Amino acid sequence: MGTHRTNLLQGTLDLLILKALGTGELHGLGVSRRIEHMTRGTFVVRPGSLFPALHRLEEAGWLVSTWQPSENNRRAKYYRLTKAGTRQLGTETAEWNRIALAIARALEA
Amino acid sequence: MLSPFSHLWRNLVHRDQIERDLDEEVQAHVELLVDEKIRAGMNPHAARRAAALELGGVDAVKEQVREIRSGAIAEQFLQDIRYAARLLRRNPIFTLTATLSLAIGIGANTTIFTVANALLFRPPAGVVEPDRVVDIGVTRSPGGFNFNPSSYPNYLDIRERTTTLDGVYAYPLFPAAMSLGGAGNTIGAESVFGMAVTVNYFTVLGASPAAGRLFDAGDSEQPGASPIAVLSHAFWTRRFNKDLAIVGRTLTLNGHPFTVVGVAAEGFQGTGVRAGDLWVPTSMLATATSQGTGMLANRAGAWLLIGGRLKPRVSIPKATAEMDAIGRTLEREYPAQNRGARLLLLPSSPVPGNSVPVAAFLTLLMGIVSLVLVIACANLTGVLLARASARRREIAVRLAVGAGRARLMRQLFTETMMLFVLGGVGGLLLARGMTSLLVSRLPTLPFPVDVSLALDGRAIVFTTGLVLIAALLSGLAPALQASKADVVSTLKDDAQAPGRLRLRHAFVIAQVAFSILLVVVAGLFARALQRMGSMDPGFDSHGVELVALNLSEAGYTDATGPLFARELIDRVRGLPDVQSATLAAVLPGGFESLRLAGLTLPGVSSPNGPELFADWNIVEPGYFATLRIPLAGGRDFSGADRTGAQPVVIVGEGTARRLWPGKEAVGQYVLAHRGGPDPLTRALRVIGVARDPSYGTLFDGTTGLYVYVPLPQQYWSSMMIVARTKDGRRVIDEIRALVASMNSNLPIVRAQTAEDYTALGLMPQRVGVSVAGSLGLVGVLLTAIGTYGVTVYAVTRRTREIGIRIALGARRADVIGMILRQGLSLVLIGSIIGLTLAAAAGRLLATFLLGMPPIDPVTFAGAALLLAAVGLAACYVPARRASDIDAMEALRAD
Repeated sequence: MGTHRTNLLQGTLDLLILKALGTGELHGLGVSRRIEHMTRGTFVVRPGSLFPALHRLEEAGWLVSTWQPSENNRRAKYYRLTKAGTRQLGTETAEWNRIALAIARALEA
Repeated sequence: MLSPFSHLWRNLVHRDQIERDLDEEVQAHVELLVDEKIRAGMNPHAARRAAALELGGVDAVKEQVREIRSGAIAEQFLQDIRYAARLLRRNPIFTLTATLSLAIGIGANTTIFTVANALLFRPPAGVVEPDRVVDIGVTRSPGGFNFNPSSYPNYLDIRERTTTLDGVYAYPLFPAAMSLGGAGNTIGAESVFGMAVTVNYFTVLGASPAAGRLFDAGDSEQPGASPIAVLSHAFWTRRFNKDLAIVGRTLTLNGHPFTVVGVAAEGFQGTGVRAGDLWVPTSMLATATSQGTGMLANRAGAWLLIGGRLKPRVSIPKATAEMDAIGRTLEREYPAQNRGARLLLLPSSPVPGNSVPVAAFLTLLMGIVSLVLVIACANLTGVLLARASARRREIAVRLAVGAGRARLMRQLFTETMMLFVLGGVGGLLLARGMTSLLVSRLPTLPFPVDVSLALDGRAIVFTTGLVLIAALLSGLAPALQASKADVVSTLKDDAQAPGRLRLRHAFVIAQVAFSILLVVVAGLFARALQRMGSMDPGFDSHGVELVALNLSEAGYTDATGPLFARELIDRVRGLPDVQSATLAAVLPGGFESLRLAGLTLPGVSSPNGPELFADWNIVEPGYFATLRIPLAGGRDFSGADRTGAQPVVIVGEGTARRLWPGKEAVGQYVLAHRGGPDPLTRALRVIGVARDPSYGTLFDGTTGLYVYVPLPQQYWSSMMIVARTKDGRRVIDEIRALVASMNSNLPIVRAQTAEDYTALGLMPQRVGVSVAGSLGLVGVLLTAIGTYGVTVYAVTRRTREIGIRIALGARRADVIGMILRQGLSLVLIGSIIGLTLAAAAGRLLATFLLGMPPIDPVTFAGAALLLAAVGLAACYVPARRASDIDAMEALRAD
């Protein structure tokens, strides 16, 4: 899906990436597959959205990257949450829950 | 973890490594994808294709990552600059002509702005809250531009009566020449310029001293009671090498001791451009200058400009209204001296009361120099449009590989901007040269002025703004057009949209129109000057040299001055290279005029009857012969017209017609009334009638009425030796030596040729012709380049069509004619527009044209012919080339 269509969706992508990295470090493709897996295929993140987002989050200080051997014995860039990233994941999760609840209520009303 | 700043630093400095990293990361991603697909059962070839499809282009992904990086904009900017620089280097001719034409346009604008800045906008140095300072002057024709000095008694009344001003000061219209007799010991005479100012001058202006003190309320205003002086910082530096010990020492001014009490702050010269060397109190006028004590008591003696400081929260209109009321009261109370004299209050200006005509002239110049910048911009835009269409393929390719349109516009714009920055820098350098050239070309004024024409912050800001606006205007159209390129159609074939061409044609037409306007303006000024030159001015200043002296500087009085003057002029006449010589107070065509007294006829009711105010001159015998002014009747002055003898006068023809219409003037009597505390009426017998000089100038409003009186009967200390030399030889140095040998304490105030002296009045026209002329030349050259460019382009575009025509049997002449018609039709349209504009501009110029009709057929026809010739030459070369097109090759090409 085109995740850069609105700000809300962009925020969603950030949250999904942080969440995907919450359980351990992954390379770009790994992040992409983890998100697909977590959302049961609802969100497919294209590289054109994924890599800019990873770099942006890294510049924001929420991720760090290291070059490591990958499962196919090549070098790949692995991303991992920093402490600030973990905190950010907490904040964004709480924020998302608040919004989701509010919208759910609004739709029920 | 890196801070945002270290990211920025890393991104900008370690760009190569970051790029490698990104490349590797995306490549690794591709490999992982491929492996994944293979594991899922695809064959390697299909897997690779599927991976590529999913990725959507390695470069596009990389570009997207680059754009979110911190410092992306800065990086792109640097990249754009590198790219632009490469392009500009690759087209040195284009870069050079564009930069040079912009530099000339921008430089000319900056130069004129610098002058306007110095004369109109720059706050005076060392003056506190200058916007509360006002000028007060006398005007005899309300609504007109004249702004004249007032008298000391009127000044005292104004100071007494005003309620809207905090302080009112006065200073002389012109600095007076004084002889400086050395500090302590006499080391020979030296001429300095002093200003006799009221003692509150410095306090009202809020000036502060660089050393010692300035005048203040404690200094007496009693005539002769305060022999003190304040030095200007420049004079202190130049003459005394900033010696602090000068404070308290005594200087000898015109033979009288003055104590130096202090030095004014650096740059301080009041609110005007007249730069005196020192200031003395007005009360010391009689001691320090030639004018007698009478000047301080003479209500008719107008020599002081008045200034004041508005009280807080008082508006200019309120103060103006009050000043007008005071003026009317003074007119009622002293009708003899103040008849028709209204008081005018204006915001202070370096050219008091004249800021309107000066601003008008500078606006005119600004208009002229803006035209050349517009031409340069139109020219550049034309070239940029051509380049943009030549680069459509390149641009379409870049759009195709994922460059954003905004990004592309930014890049095209950077190129234009770079040209303008180069032009701007060149323009500033050029402006420095042009301002110093301008200063060196100024004619010698009868008093020192200090117009600082430095390129200050204001001028730099102006230039920067100008560059930005001009770049925006001329870069916008090409950038917009180029980025609108449609990828598919452009890549498919190279056809041209007709709209683009029409735009280019419009720019050529604009160039022709503005060039013709410039040429016409230059032509009108030149014709006006030529007319002045060919017109008989009624006197001959060629081969005449002037040496100005002030006899009072060496202590001569009414009693001793005339004798010395007579001996001096006799000795000058005896010099071997001098053909004839005389003395005169003023010369026609210069800056100065004397209004000594009002004239009436005997028997006509006076003092409230009509008085005639004429331009006076005080001369020695031989004045008319030396300047070759013919006498229409009667005789010249002679040695017999001395003190005690019958007072005589020679009148100009205009005066004679006015006073004795249809009658013989010689032998008549006229009454000259001098106002003041000791009013004097003398009956003068007319002994001759002289032809009037006819010259038109902007600055000195002459009455056209002239009267001449002999020096022995009307002593005046400030005189000029007027010497006609033999065969164009120079005698100034001989006269200098002669004066020094006769009295070593008598300094030369100034020495110049009479032609220089009279040149001053025509300065606006001379400046106008040189500015408009040189810029007109640049404009015509640029237009030629522009016309040539668009014609060459049209020929290239129509190569195939021309080839077909030739193949179908068109003759060379037909082809040449076709191309010429197209090019010249642009020139024709431009010329018609330009001449229409010029006709409108001519009317605006009328005041500067000295009576020439604004629509001068010679100038207009000449300008049209010039542009037609230039257009023809510019179109002919490409037309010839078009006729040489080989039909077969043209049809095979592309």
